Amino acid sequence: MTVRRRIPLWLRGVPWLALLVLAVVGICAIGGDDILPADPNQLNLADAFRPPFWAANGSVGNPLGTDNLGRDILSRILAGSRISVIVAAYAIVFSGGIGALAGLVAGYFGGVVDAVLMRLIEIQQSIPSIALALIIAAALEPGLSTVIFVIVLTYWAWYARIIRGEVMTLKGRDYIAFARVAGVGTPTILMRHLLPNIFNTLIVLATLQVGQVILFEASLSFLGLGIQQPDISWGLMLADARQYITNAWWAITMPGIAIMLTCLSANVFGDWLRDRLDPRLRQL
Amino acid sequence: MLLQVDQLRMYLHLRRGVLRAVDGISLHVNEAETLGLVGESGSGKTMTGLAMLRLLPRDAGRIESGSIALDGRDLTTLTETEMVREIRGRRIAMIMQDPMTSLNPVFSVGDQVGAPLRYHDIARGAVLRSSVIDVLRRVRLPSPEQRLGDYPHQFSGGQRQRIVTAMAIGCTPRLLIADEPTTALDVTIQVQIIALLKRIQQDAGLGIVLITHDLGVAASLCHRIAVMYAGQIVETAPVRAIYRSPAHPYTQALLAAIPRLYATAKRLTAIPGQPPSLIDPPAGCRFAARCPHRMARCTEPPPMVDLGDGHSAACWKLAA
Amino acid sequence: MSRFLLHRLLQGLVSIVGASIVIFLISRLSGDPVQILLPSDATPEMIAETRRTLGLDLPLWHQYVIFAWDALRGDFGRSYRWQMPALRLILDRLPATILLAVCGLIFSVAVAVPVGVLSAVRPGGWTDRVGRIFAMLGQAMPAFWVGLLLILLFAVQLNWLPAFGYGGVSHIIMPAIALGWYPVAAQTRIVRSAMRDVLDSDYIRLSRALGTPERWIVWKYALRNAAVPLLTMLGVYFAAMLGGAFVVETIFAWPGVGRTVVEAVFSRDFPVVQAGVLFTSILFVLSNLLVDLTYGIVDPRIRDDR
Repeated sequence: MTVRRRIPLWLRGVPWLALLVLAVVGICAIGGDDILPADPNQLNLADAFRPPFWAANGSVGNPLGTDNLGRDILSRILAGSRISVIVAAYAIVFSGGIGALAGLVAGYFGGVVDAVLMRLIEIQQSIPSIALALIIAAALEPGLSTVIFVIVLTYWAWYARIIRGEVMTLKGRDYIAFARVAGVGTPTILMRHLLPNIFNTLIVLATLQVGQVILFEASLSFLGLGIQQPDISWGLMLADARQYITNAWWAITMPGIAIMLTCLSANVFGDWLRDRLDPRLRQL
Repeated sequence: MLLQVDQLRMYLHLRRGVLRAVDGISLHVNEAETLGLVGESGSGKTMTGLAMLRLLPRDAGRIESGSIALDGRDLTTLTETEMVREIRGRRIAMIMQDPMTSLNPVFSVGDQVGAPLRYHDIARGAVLRSSVIDVLRRVRLPSPEQRLGDYPHQFSGGQRQRIVTAMAIGCTPRLLIADEPTTALDVTIQVQIIALLKRIQQDAGLGIVLITHDLGVAASLCHRIAVMYAGQIVETAPVRAIYRSPAHPYTQALLAAIPRLYATAKRLTAIPGQPPSLIDPPAGCRFAARCPHRMARCTEPPPMVDLGDGHSAACWKLAA
Repeated sequence: MSRFLLHRLLQGLVSIVGASIVIFLISRLSGDPVQILLPSDATPEMIAETRRTLGLDLPLWHQYVIFAWDALRGDFGRSYRWQMPALRLILDRLPATILLAVCGLIFSVAVAVPVGVLSAVRPGGWTDRVGRIFAMLGQAMPAFWVGLLLILLFAVQLNWLPAFGYGGVSHIIMPAIALGWYPVAAQTRIVRSAMRDVLDSDYIRLSRALGTPERWIVWKYALRNAAVPLLTMLGVYFAAMLGGAFVVETIFAWPGVGRTVVEAVFSRDFPVVQAGVLFTSILFVLSNLLVDLTYGIVDPRIRDDR
């Protein structure tokens, strides 16, 4: 009991394991190829299909085994985190930015602007996101920018709707009315008064989105619509491994576990942050 | 004697302590007799009713000691399965306060009234249907045959209370525990429900325990009244005696607090102070702190003094 | 009732029209389809001629009107790859996708309801804790990976089930599980919280006081009430199944719309892609509309209000 009391309040209940995983992912993303145990792109056909180190014929040199071209799976997994982080970062910034702006404007001005926005949101929500991704990928070249474009197109509406709701609640508050009476210009009201108050919500939404973005990118890359060779993505690794499912069970499971761990950690962390900052969003 | 409760103690074991909700209750009910259990909120009257059916919060509530004898059979010795199969809904029934929330909104009235009959193996199939219609007629629900398939929201508050009553008396129980059955109703409907309960009692020889805080309702339905305070019974008497010559200071204060129509407008008389905490109740008389007749002796638990003609009260003042 | 539904139907129509515009615009993004159709040594005259035939020299809005008008009459063009009308291709495959989506939904509900009920009845108990963990994991696993793992375990290692194809019950089990896996967490939460509220209600307490056996109280009288929020959301979950079907069908070679569209994307078979995405969107919108419809059916109180 005495040990508990020594931990400061803000530190209590923090999901340490989740943060650890996220930190590892982050470090691998930033660190570059040099910090990896092996070269992720190094072909070594003689070493192909080596199982993880605890199985027969495995070696500690390739702790999680090798794929069909003899490449070290552990290094490829760690390298794949780069894509996940990049996609998540861009996607969140753009979809969050556009969505928040749209929600801010629609919520504050109401009327026609709001009606148009709601129709746009409804239209966006009438096409399943994978279908949207497919049709965009059919039109453009598959690749990193396509993936980000699709994610932004899919998620902006989510932000917009929630932020719009927040703004509509806030704009009825007294301090907004006072600002208007005092003659403060609309852009200032939006930026100075409304934006800081929805900031918490934005942060929570962003962290809750990370997990979903990771899953979405993995699905797209798996289908072949996302990241292309020779870039490394976990989804792409699974697509490759699919052909050799009878020979190399580890090639199918390990990248998937990476996806699961990262997404889980992001979800756990996002939930914790939401509970601390804005529990009203628990419906999501 | 239909029901005999002897020194019943039921405590709630909570995180913050042991709450002595029912602390040494003794009462009895005869056939075709209504006993009123009267007291303010928190006095333990609802808990007593629940305790008699052993409907206690799963982990927290426990009957510590005492007996509950229905037709001579001690209910505290029965297993839960025996309580479900033989007692609840079958020999002792209960109706609750709010008819708006007492009925299941997604099941038809016919289904709900028939449920106790079905689960106690009284009737099945076509017989069940006619039994349900029969009992709905007994509670004077208009056109029961047509309304079997209707849902609770299609009935008024008073009708719903009749339906709940029908659910309760379907298996012709020996005892009915009515927990504030009229509180949520209009005064005009209240009168009807009271009349209904009276009639059912006369027809079936039903014993009723009426739990209420409304002395007026108690007066119109009850033969005898037991006054509860802080988890204990402080006075028991035939209904006339309670109103004409209340013996216990708490009962006297309760009656004095009722505003009279013909009196000149004075300030309302209230009882000063608060009921004691049931987690850590005082050792002696629990009303002593608020009692105008407080004596030195009151730090010891007062005995139940028999005043004759079925009238008894727990007060040192009467013991002399 | 009819007024509200009419309004929602109109909303749905607007959404579908909007979706068709989006689909149309995006397919035009791909650049010149003429380049794909004609051999590389085509003369400028041939290109211009083809362009005129295909109506590609008209302004964009005009092209959309033609597209929409044709679509309403059922003409989505011919599949470049399979040489048959795109609409027929899609409609042939639609039943398989709907079957898969339904089975996926059945699976997720079949898991979520018992787990949710037991979690509510015994909070902190075994089912509750294990259920919560599995739900957390489930929400972090992409559907396609679940599918791959299932194939690895049941087809490759144990050889109990076929890894792909369309046939009897054994062919649909794994795809249905892979598809229905993700929403289990959310559905369990809904059931659990609804059950907890219901078990606390006055009418349940009355049922108990009148001697209804606990088993009936939980599984009949309480569950019917707790199911209302879940049932009203079924439309939404069905729609989610439709979306997930794209990937799952690809893994299990399930002959549905999803797999067809994915293949069409890679062969740049635009008529098929357009028809497929549009039909999926229509189904999607309709399923979401279903929510308002089922609410009236499931809860007798609403039924009569309207």
